[in-house]
Amino acid sequence: MAKKLVLALFSGSVDKLTAAGVILGGAAAEDMDVDIYVLLQAAFAFKKENAMTNDRVAEITDKKDEFLASLKRLETPHWTEAFRNAKEMTNVKIHICGFAGKVWHGEKLEDFIDLADDIVGIGEYMDAAENADINLFI
Amino acid sequence: MTTEELQAIQVDKTVDARGTSCPGPLLAAKKAIGEIQPGQIMEVLSSDEGTKRDIPKWCTKKGYEYLGTIEESGYFKIYMKK
Repeated sequence: MAKKLVLALFSGSVDKLTAAGVILGGAAAEDMDVDIYVLLQAAFAFKKENAMTNDRVAEITDKKDEFLASLKRLETPHWTEAFRNAKEMTNVKIHICGFAGKVWHGEKLEDFIDLADDIVGIGEYMDAAENADINLFI
Repeated sequence: MTTEELQAIQVDKTVDARGTSCPGPLLAAKKAIGEIQPGQIMEVLSSDEGTKRDIPKWCTKKGYEYLGTIEESGYFKIYMKK
């Protein structure tokens, strides 16, 4: 039986989303089952109109330009591509928190990029977290 | 295996992941291992320092046999048997 990673993804910043993408890559390499719960600020980043244009960073903000330039220099996949690769390689489900969606005026699944699988309540996260082998908050 | 044994080994598949950063080489290895048969040998070329530790651990977890690593100038050759 595959091990399960549950990720509570709160951050909508590119630095933390990129880190999440790296972790997802590791989970994909090990064929883990992954459930991602997209909370508050992350729901902003998952909105169709924001996913590719949002370039906010959460940490070391005075070095944002250097950080973004390094991602480009290292040919680091955009976080959406890293998430998509992981979905292609292992069982990854991405759940948008219904409340978070409403905060950013996204009440329907089609308001979000096609990586999102459904819109759920917090009870789904609690169930998943109880049964996870690894539970992360980013 | 010794470096001499690794250098003489018959490789069934080579994955050139040089220039990609973590987790690129690991994911390239995962994709490629599905294309070889049990008993065949795969070589992963990587310039990412972390890969030379990641791939042996990944082999152990997935039930593949890690055969060894050769350090070349600016990159590693990592060998495994499916």
